[in-house]
Amino acid sequence: MKKGILRLISLVLLLTMLSLLAGCAKSNTETAAPAATPEPTPEEITLKLGIWPEDTLADDIKMHENWVKTFNSKYPNVKVVPAYYKYATDTFVSLAESGNLPTVFETWYTEPQKLIEGGFVKDITAELKELGWDNAMNPTIRELLSKDGKIYGIPRDGYALGLMLNVELFEKAGLVDANGIPQYPKTWEELAQCAKTIKDKTGSAGICILAKDNAGGWHYSSIAWAFGAQMEALKDGKWVAQLNSPENVAAMSFVKDLKWKYDVLTADPTNEDWGTGFKALGTGEAAMYIGANDAVNQPTQVNKLDVKKLALVPLPAGPGGQYSLMGGTPYMFSAKATAEEVKAALNYIEVMGKAPVTTPESLAGMEDDAKNKVTAGIPVIPDFPAWTDPEFIKAKQEAISKNSNIDMALYNDYYEKLKQNGNLHLEEPKLTQDMYAELTKVLQAVITDKNANVQKLLDTANANLQSLLDSQVNK
Amino acid sequence: MLDRMLEVNKKRITKYKMSENLKHNMGGWLVMAPTLLLFAFFVWEPLLESVRLSFYSAKGMKLIEFVGFKNYIDVFRHPDFLPAVRNTFSYTIWSLVIGFLVPIVLAILINEMVHAKSLFRVGIYFPNVVPGLATVLMWGFIFKPGKTGVLNIILGQFGIEPMVWLSNPKLTIPLIVLTMTWKAAGATALIYLAALQGINPELYEAAIIDGAGIWDRIRHVTIPNLRNLARTLLILQVIAVFQILYEPLVMTNGGPNNASISIMQLVFKYAFEKFDYPKAAAVSVIISIFLISLTAVYNKFNKELDI
Repeated sequence: MKKGILRLISLVLLLTMLSLLAGCAKSNTETAAPAATPEPTPEEITLKLGIWPEDTLADDIKMHENWVKTFNSKYPNVKVVPAYYKYATDTFVSLAESGNLPTVFETWYTEPQKLIEGGFVKDITAELKELGWDNAMNPTIRELLSKDGKIYGIPRDGYALGLMLNVELFEKAGLVDANGIPQYPKTWEELAQCAKTIKDKTGSAGICILAKDNAGGWHYSSIAWAFGAQMEALKDGKWVAQLNSPENVAAMSFVKDLKWKYDVLTADPTNEDWGTGFKALGTGEAAMYIGANDAVNQPTQVNKLDVKKLALVPLPAGPGGQYSLMGGTPYMFSAKATAEEVKAALNYIEVMGKAPVTTPESLAGMEDDAKNKVTAGIPVIPDFPAWTDPEFIKAKQEAISKNSNIDMALYNDYYEKLKQNGNLHLEEPKLTQDMYAELTKVLQAVITDKNANVQKLLDTANANLQSLLDSQVNK
Repeated sequence: MLDRMLEVNKKRITKYKMSENLKHNMGGWLVMAPTLLLFAFFVWEPLLESVRLSFYSAKGMKLIEFVGFKNYIDVFRHPDFLPAVRNTFSYTIWSLVIGFLVPIVLAILINEMVHAKSLFRVGIYFPNVVPGLATVLMWGFIFKPGKTGVLNIILGQFGIEPMVWLSNPKLTIPLIVLTMTWKAAGATALIYLAALQGINPELYEAAIIDGAGIWDRIRHVTIPNLRNLARTLLILQVIAVFQILYEPLVMTNGGPNNASISIMQLVFKYAFEKFDYPKAAAVSVIISIFLISLTAVYNKFNKELDI
């Protein structure tokens, strides 16, 4: 009797498991099928939009729904599927490998080369050539999105780092002129003094410096360049790390002074990353923060700073000059997308007013975008020129000035500076993220240890970076 | 009719006896089959696969070519490797110093209680119910430096100036271990408590008759009875702490200046920041070799002790 029960149980278990396995197998083929056999009949193309806004942004969704209507009236054969995807390194590869990546998605400025290397994104050179967009792109940004002459993405917009100010804190500290425009620091030395004044008069931190992750090293490069540092150099065909140059030591010592001599930083820079920095700025915890024109929604829309109380000014100058780090936020395309799907995606981007054309749909897209920013309390400011088409730039400028919701006096100096020759600076070229990681470790050390030996720390960082360069670049 | 049925049954029984052994085992195998298959599919195959992966170069997740020990050499040479190994040992040692005795003491205390035993039993287990991430975020607020950190606010009531906690390189690891102990000690204490309640009460009675006080009873009855369990839990704790990942990842991101980076964090960085899966696999293999040899040495040592 007992045996019988045992046998029965084992049989049931076995059957359950077989059906489980069968279930797995079945669902596997189901999900894999569309990726494996993409049969895009001309009448039916599915466009999975990873650039769809997230559920909470109702206004943005409404804007996109209108765009879809416009888009479908022109391209009725394309079925637009919202597939909101916020790029994240821990979800990306599994999505890509399982063939579930949206046709088009937005990623970070750091990622293109890595994604191209891994074969996750599609070469769209042919499609861009067909539309004539390949030469309308800002050449430096095109460089960021290309490998071996092939283009893998297009810019949503470009950015250049500047210094963001919380105007409320500047007013409280009495650092504004008769017109209420902040008297911002023109050099890093002035910045230290200015930050001190703000800290003394308002109790808020003068500036927010990042030291949690690689963004720390990224922001720091701007300071280092102003002090005259060049952190990587090509010598006799080999890449050489120069993190321990006297200029870089001076720049790092300056950051150390911000903490220990002036004491103007937020409570724990080793816990500040890109997002918390904007929070500190937006909520009045810090008066200054290194930020770019494409992130003005962060302090305002996201962290509720009054749209008129944000200013963006040039980064301070140092003994080595004045530079603005530039980059771009890219749109990239799933490696598994067909040429038709990519074209549909590009057409949709055109309707959004983000493509270098001035069709009526594109113009309406720009207008909608600007209006939406006004309702959401985001400063409507000029774009950084990611596309070079003059008519496109003019049309964009018109849409922006018509919907202006801020005093351009708070931004003019920044845009003027960018136009100067030699002001824009690209990131250091090789193993950039590893270099940032090394710099961030040094930042953490000098910010947490009053007696840190800057030269010694940078010597170690330099040796580390050099060994990485030797093993991965100078082969 | 009834006779015939009995006859058939008898026949069945004799048949059954003939191959009883086989059939007996068959049942066992059948019961195990689902588990074995699932294990093979979800545990063993991926395990072997990641060993294989560590010897290849890859594009994304697709293997390209066999590269021998290149991934291992690159990993060893990486500037973060040594600090990570050092810290991981440091985590393990601190977790034994801070965390190993706490559950034993908790269990003994609760076992000796007369009133409100269940209340405390539930109480010590409570932190374990909190999701891991919530725990470290909460302790992150407590250890926040500056005037807004919870601990600094409390200390401020006694006139102590705000201090830095997690960003002090000397305190980082002990503090992280403290939060881990806070979370996990209760669960372990329950295991010890179960063992304590399994100790034959006659041993205590005999000890009392011999005039043993509370300390003598603990020393001569309780501890010897817990020893075997404690040995197993020790190695389990070492294995668990060796794989510490999300606590430093969330609380300090491995900083300041690599003061809290753990070896599992290297795996995370390789896999999810650089998409370099072969090197991530190589580090995983190194971790498992560490742990397997550690466990082997420990067990040998234990066996010798037993003899």
